[in-house]
Amino acid sequence: MEIKEQKIKDVIVLEILGRVDTTNYGKLEGVLSDYIAKNEKNIIIDCSEMDYISSSGLRVFLTGFKKINAINGNYFLCGLQDNIQEIFEISGFTSIFKIFTNQENALKGIE
Amino acid sequence: MKKNLKIKNNISELDKLVIFIEKMAEDWKIPVKEVFSINLVLEEIISNIIFYAFDDKFDHEIHLEADYNNNILKIMIEEEGKEFNILKVPLPDHLDTGVENRKVGGLGIHLITTIMDKIEYKRTGDKNQTFLYKKI
Repeated sequence: MEIKEQKIKDVIVLEILGRVDTTNYGKLEGVLSDYIAKNEKNIIIDCSEMDYISSSGLRVFLTGFKKINAINGNYFLCGLQDNIQEIFEISGFTSIFKIFTNQENALKGIE
Repeated sequence: MKKNLKIKNNISELDKLVIFIEKMAEDWKIPVKEVFSINLVLEEIISNIIFYAFDDKFDHEIHLEADYNNNILKIMIEEEGKEFNILKVPLPDHLDTGVENRKVGGLGIHLITTIMDKIEYKRTGDKNQTFLYKKI
C-alpha cells in the first residue's frame, strides 16, 4: 500500500493505492491519527486506487471516522471500487460514511 | 486436484496466502469478485490464528487445503492451536447503529459468515479444523 497525502485548502486528501491488509493497516492508522492530532477536521480518503481491504483496514476507516465525528469534522470517502463497495455494504459502512463517486465531488461536499 | 499451503504462525506469511489464492483463482478460473472476498475471509481467519491460537513463542504450522468441485469451493484450515470454534463467536449486535455507538470489533466474523455459504468446525484430537464452503 502507498498513501499519497495532499492538502487542498483546509482539506486533507489521502489517496490509498493498493492493498490495505493485516500487514500494513498500521501505516494508514498512523497517517490518519497524525492529521487528527494536528487538528485537521476535514479528511477525504480517495479509494479509487485501493483494490483490497481486510477487516483490520475497515476498522481503521471506522476509527478515523469516529474521531473526526467527535470533533464535528468532515470525513468523506470517494471512488470505491465495486468489490470494496460491496464489503462496505456488508459491513454496514455505507449507511454511516458519506461516500462520493470521485474526489472532485467529495471536495465540493466540504465547501 | 486439491491444493495445499503450509504457513508458519507469523504475520509475514500472509503474503504466501495471497499468492496461493491468486494461483487457485487462475487454475480454477475463479472470478475476481470472488477472489476478493475469499482473500478477505482467509486473511481474517489466518491472522486470527496467528494472533491468538498459540501462547508460546515457537513456530507452528497452519495448513490450508482447497478443493473445487461442481462449482463449490471448499477450504479447510487446520492448526494445533487452542480450541477455537468459529461458529461460537458472537455476531455484532447492530451493524446499522449510529457512529457514536458503533463498536469497532466483531466485524470480521460478520464478514466471514456473510461471504461464505457454509462453515463447519471440528475439533479432532488437538487440532482445530474449520471448513469453508462457497458456491462460485
